Amino acid sequence: MRLHLHIVTALTLLAASAVSVAADLDAASAQAQAQRLAVGVCGTCHGPHGNSEQPKFPRLAGQNPDYLAAQLRAFKAQTRGDPDAIGYMWGMAGNLDEAVINALGKYYAAQKPGIGRRGDAALISRGKEVYEHGVETAAVPPCLSCHGPGAEGGGNYPRLAGQHAQYVLKQLNSFQNNMRDVAIMHGVAQGLKLAEMRAVAAYVQAQP
Amino acid sequence: MTQRAWTFRFWMGAIVVLSAAGLVERAEAVPSFARQTGMACEACHTVYPELTHFGRTFKANGYVLDNLRQVRGVNARRGELLDLSQTPPISIMAQVSWTQMQTSVPDVQNPDVSGFAQNGTVAFPQQISLFYAGKIAPRLGAFIQLTYGNDSGSIGIDNVDLRFADMHILPQDKSLVYGVSLNNNPTVQDLWNTTPAFGFPYAASNATVGSIAASQIDGTLGQDVAGLTAYLYWNESVYAEFGVYRSAKQGDANAVTGAAGPLDGTSSNVISGVAPYWRVAYEYTHDRHSIEVGVYGLSVSMLPGLTDDVPTPLSGAKNEFRDVAEDVQYQFLGDEHIFTFEATRIHENMDLNASFVAGSVANSSNDLTTIRATGTYYFRRMIGGTIGYFSTTGSTDAGLYASPGAGDPGVVTSASNSPDTKGWVAEINYVPWLNTKLSLQYTAYSKFNGGGTNYDGVGRDASDNNSWYALLWFAY
Repeated sequence: MRLHLHIVTALTLLAASAVSVAADLDAASAQAQAQRLAVGVCGTCHGPHGNSEQPKFPRLAGQNPDYLAAQLRAFKAQTRGDPDAIGYMWGMAGNLDEAVINALGKYYAAQKPGIGRRGDAALISRGKEVYEHGVETAAVPPCLSCHGPGAEGGGNYPRLAGQHAQYVLKQLNSFQNNMRDVAIMHGVAQGLKLAEMRAVAAYVQAQP
Repeated sequence: MTQRAWTFRFWMGAIVVLSAAGLVERAEAVPSFARQTGMACEACHTVYPELTHFGRTFKANGYVLDNLRQVRGVNARRGELLDLSQTPPISIMAQVSWTQMQTSVPDVQNPDVSGFAQNGTVAFPQQISLFYAGKIAPRLGAFIQLTYGNDSGSIGIDNVDLRFADMHILPQDKSLVYGVSLNNNPTVQDLWNTTPAFGFPYAASNATVGSIAASQIDGTLGQDVAGLTAYLYWNESVYAEFGVYRSAKQGDANAVTGAAGPLDGTSSNVISGVAPYWRVAYEYTHDRHSIEVGVYGLSVSMLPGLTDDVPTPLSGAKNEFRDVAEDVQYQFLGDEHIFTFEATRIHENMDLNASFVAGSVANSSNDLTTIRATGTYYFRRMIGGTIGYFSTTGSTDAGLYASPGAGDPGVVTSASNSPDTKGWVAEINYVPWLNTKLSLQYTAYSKFNGGGTNYDGVGRDASDNNSWYALLWFAY
């Protein structure tokens, strides 16, 4: 009986370790596939290591993995509806499986973000005001309450530090007119004037 | 046949080849790529067929980026045996056009009087093409075009580019794409729209008068050759390619066996051995700007073969053509505004020993230089236009660029025995959908076949060849 128990235990451990090895292999395979995609496909627009030079395409280096994975799932499910998402990313993400989506999130999270880029000091200063204190008269809450004091984001809230101002501005417009249907950001963006959007976009772009 | 008649035949043949080569009928915009990738045309094109940086990278990677469901097959070790898109990458393209020349050409029955031939040519269709354009297997892709043209009244092979490509990840996650292309038109495999095969004008009338001269790399060899080239594309910025072309005639038969080959003296202009082709380019992208500078070239050693309807063995003296070209491109890609500047200069040195010995050219050496420059603007990828300048100049040669003989209708002749042709082309486009384009194009010549007035020796002026061209062009 005791021997039988040992055998069962050994087989169980063996099976568990086989499952674990298989899972590791799958994860390694997904990570390798993600790296290949990131370098050979995503990087054409999003830049080497996710540090895009073109303001049309967001910088992904250092982005929060959960946020990035959530966006890829939204592209795949065709629920994120801003024009560039439809034109580029619906197709691009259409065939990604869950393991590769998560691996892409990890890949970009591990890349070193580019440094922030300074711009018009007065605009950045106005943006800092909006970012840190919101717009009380329009009931716009401070951005930092979700995106963090350094615009580093966290969890499902995206990192904004160093992001292209043009991209951020376009997203705020998309939230405002509900092309990008995110209730919380629709509420925030509705209260923002164009000048305030420009300012806050310039501010987050300047953050390291 | 007289020397004049030979050269007339030679250049008329060249013009026919140029037309068949797609010099006046080009297409690269293929909705099957959009279906395969799931991305709208705008990812790869500013407005078709001009490529963006992403489009260039897609092409370099062998047309294989795929986001469709696949039919798969694997072996016992899960090695990949089949990876086939459930939707075949098939597209159809059509062009319908109307052409109005400033002065119609003389009717061949009344060669001394202009205006007897019809003006206002309706082409319905000018061209219909069927494409297989997309992935064949992992790392293997194709761009295959079959075209019905109203000029030939038949279906024939058009541009073909079969590719194998793969990518290697270098340290610091830099990419190195490497591949080979098997194609039938030098520069059809190129990534920039500065080179001849996919250069501006992207569509042009086939019911006007073609000028008398073009270099070998400038479309003359299209669909008449097969080329195997290998390329490297480093970090999506440095591109280097080398390969060779060999004659691969369509419709020629061996006089002894009646089979499709081997080519013999009944074929004309047969490449001796292989013709080396080379290309180096550098592209820098920053913000919304990209700039490319490059050089490319082709060296052709040609056996004249069939001359004056007389078969001539494929041996002995040859005509040598050495083409060296430079190109530059600037692209600005904004959400609202798109601007592109493209330019190329092609210089050809000719050592025509074979033709000189045969007495069909006046000089044993000639040269030809073609310059093209265009600026294109689009607003929201919907309304835009292009202004382009073109110029071909070269040495005079009474054999190559013949004067008209008695009773000759002229038009395609040169009174001054010069190839010089210069002018402007302006085009406005309306693109209601990304796969549908309405164009109105005007071409104006300041010089044609060597002259401004009475260029052909029969009283025709360069401006008589000015033309309006309206085009409906769509692909599905």
